[in-house]
Amino acid sequence: MVLEIKNLTKKYNKHKTGLTDYSITLENGILGLLGPNGAGKSTLMKIISTISKPTQGTLFLDGIDIVRNPGHIRKILGYLPQDFGVYPNLNAYEFLKYIAAMKGVGGRGLNQRIEVLLEGVNLMADAKRPIGTYSGGMKQRIGIAQALLNDPKVLIFDEPTVGLDPEERVRFRQLITELADDCIIILSSHIVSDIETIADEVAVMQGGRLITKGSQQDIMKHAENKVFEVLVAPALMPEFKSKYSVIDTSRQQDQVRVRYISELNATAPSSTPVKAGLEDAYLFLTQSNV
Amino acid sequence: MAYLFVPLHSASYTTLNVPGFKGAYNSAWAGYVSAIMTTVMLSMYGFLLVNSGIKKDIDTEVGLIIACTPISDFSYLLSKMLSNLMVLLTIVCCTFVVSIIMFFMRGSGYAFVLANFVVPYLILAVPAMFLVASLAVLAEVFLGKKNVLQFLIYFMLFGITMAAINSRGANNLMTLIDPFGLKTITSSIAHEISSQFHTDIQNPSFGFIFSGQKPFKVFIYEGIHWQLPFLISRLLWVGVSILLVYFSSFFFHRFDFKQTAVSKKPVAEVRQTNGPNLAAAGINRSLMPPVVTDYSIFPFVKTELLLLIRKGNKWFWLVNIGLWLAMCFAPLAIAHAYLLPVLWFLQVTRWSDLATKEKTNRLHYFTFAAYRPLFRILPAQILSGVILAIAMALPLLLRYAIAADLYSIVNLINGAVLVIVLAVAIGIITGGKKLYEIIFFMLTYAVINKLSFADYLGSMVHGNRIGYIVILTGLNAAALLLSFMVRSYQSRHL
Repeated sequence: MVLEIKNLTKKYNKHKTGLTDYSITLENGILGLLGPNGAGKSTLMKIISTISKPTQGTLFLDGIDIVRNPGHIRKILGYLPQDFGVYPNLNAYEFLKYIAAMKGVGGRGLNQRIEVLLEGVNLMADAKRPIGTYSGGMKQRIGIAQALLNDPKVLIFDEPTVGLDPEERVRFRQLITELADDCIIILSSHIVSDIETIADEVAVMQGGRLITKGSQQDIMKHAENKVFEVLVAPALMPEFKSKYSVIDTSRQQDQVRVRYISELNATAPSSTPVKAGLEDAYLFLTQSNV
Repeated sequence: MAYLFVPLHSASYTTLNVPGFKGAYNSAWAGYVSAIMTTVMLSMYGFLLVNSGIKKDIDTEVGLIIACTPISDFSYLLSKMLSNLMVLLTIVCCTFVVSIIMFFMRGSGYAFVLANFVVPYLILAVPAMFLVASLAVLAEVFLGKKNVLQFLIYFMLFGITMAAINSRGANNLMTLIDPFGLKTITSSIAHEISSQFHTDIQNPSFGFIFSGQKPFKVFIYEGIHWQLPFLISRLLWVGVSILLVYFSSFFFHRFDFKQTAVSKKPVAEVRQTNGPNLAAAGINRSLMPPVVTDYSIFPFVKTELLLLIRKGNKWFWLVNIGLWLAMCFAPLAIAHAYLLPVLWFLQVTRWSDLATKEKTNRLHYFTFAAYRPLFRILPAQILSGVILAIAMALPLLLRYAIAADLYSIVNLINGAVLVIVLAVAIGIITGGKKLYEIIFFMLTYAVINKLSFADYLGSMVHGNRIGYIVILTGLNAAALLLSFMVRSYQSRHL
């Protein structure tokens, strides 16, 4: 399965552009989308899930134009939007049956399919309760279950780990990894560690443009020899921040350990180089592209 | 609407109705009648327009943020009341401007006196809007999300007030307890006519009355001299409005609903699951049966019906069942002309969000990304609404079937379709449910008052039967077409 996105542009109005000349080709596996707020991640996902039309550009799934023929991808699409809602009066069973109908899934096996999914997201015991009484994490889990109802071949998860506790996040990552063999999975998150652990490839976006795309190692190379650590007195922190691009700080007795980005020949005194991680590379790329 | 408030003498309807008389189109008549009609109409429909200020804060969860700010309950409710007032006064301003424009456009030859427009608006409409704005807050505090009950109680109060205003006789007490200040004006009009024509007339009444052209005499109305007790009574009503808000602040939930629920009955305990929330084994896909495709719309119809039935307070179904049973036994004409329109209107909150609830509940990402949503989900929503409307009208349909009255059956079905496609079309176009609720109320009011132009369910006699059916069917088709066209665009432009 190949999803080809070519020169995609989305303009909301004269002054607001969601995506600009965005091109990317995806095959089975997990693509992690990283980018600050307003980078265009949700816009891209909405266009791929065919609920938003691009102003320009093309989207082909296995050679079929899905802008003109959205039904082709909708049959095999699993989509978890960022801020989806539910009908509070329905219980989990009824809600999943409703979503199954949307996806065109039916037959005798539907109930069993729903039970397996509810069991999988550990909502079986609450399945008869109105969803309106669910917690945020439970709603997010029902969102994950609905995305998997139709054995999707294209899975889009927009900020899927929001509301999940650390244990749920670990389980979610495992689930996604299992699905990746025969699926195109696109996953956006603000939490770099979520993407770091599971994505085969990472695309960094900013201002509606693709900054770079590649394996995690490729992305991390951008920040190689540019990440340093140093101990700074708390009183000197404001001055330090004005000079350097600070990634992270941690308190260490009466000093602050600072992780920052700098060119090799312009580091602060007593700095030590450290190995760049994906988060470092992401921050380096987005800050240097402002 | 404001354009229609002060009809010309040649018009086939009246708004301030004094049988046998019409006022000369001078500044006082144009200003007073326009102010009176604005007060009456906006007092009636304005409530529907503004009675969801607190609900919006609940739905958007902004209320939770407000609840932990230092703002007092009274200040919050007063701010809601004032924002309601601003909405209503904006409409009052619009009708005020239109009334002046109309006066010049119609060029009746009388002098323009600005005070004859400004003063009645200030003295009649503004205090009345205060009251409507505060009653909307009061209703939200005490009746929460029970919208239909809010409407019913409000319109019952409104009806009683208007009946008192229309009754004969005026004294100081009547002046004081008239919240809209209309009694004084109608008495002055009656007095003016009596003195000009030496005849005793009934008190004028308000509302759009289509009576065709009848012989009439023209009287000159110059307005009234405002008496101090009357002016004080108007100020008193402003004070009462604020007091009502103050009173309701003692009962305001401050967005703490769980506490309220506990005091009534124990809430179902939220399960605390031990161990990982996503099952340890994850989703065992080998246990899943293969996907069987089914693109029929019946699962949607079933769910949509379920949503319609579960909406609102379940005890309200007792009222529905009562009216439904009454339609089985009441005289056919009464059941058709009064019971069915009322029963249908009582479902207004079920139908008003028929095609907007996915957006309100943020489910439109799923519905718009579904396989062929335009040909499956939207038709299912319409179908489920029509099924419910027809189920409500079933006693009448059966009685007409027994009487072999095909014409009435067609009209009832057309009417059932109309109330639903109207809800869908207006919901899709405006994105909200308020406009439909107001229009449906006006339609019900008009039908019950026998205004034949609004007869959407064939409860009145129409000269051209085929023509009537064609018009209704055409309206239904047009609303359907519009709904599909707009939804088609929306579903690809999120």
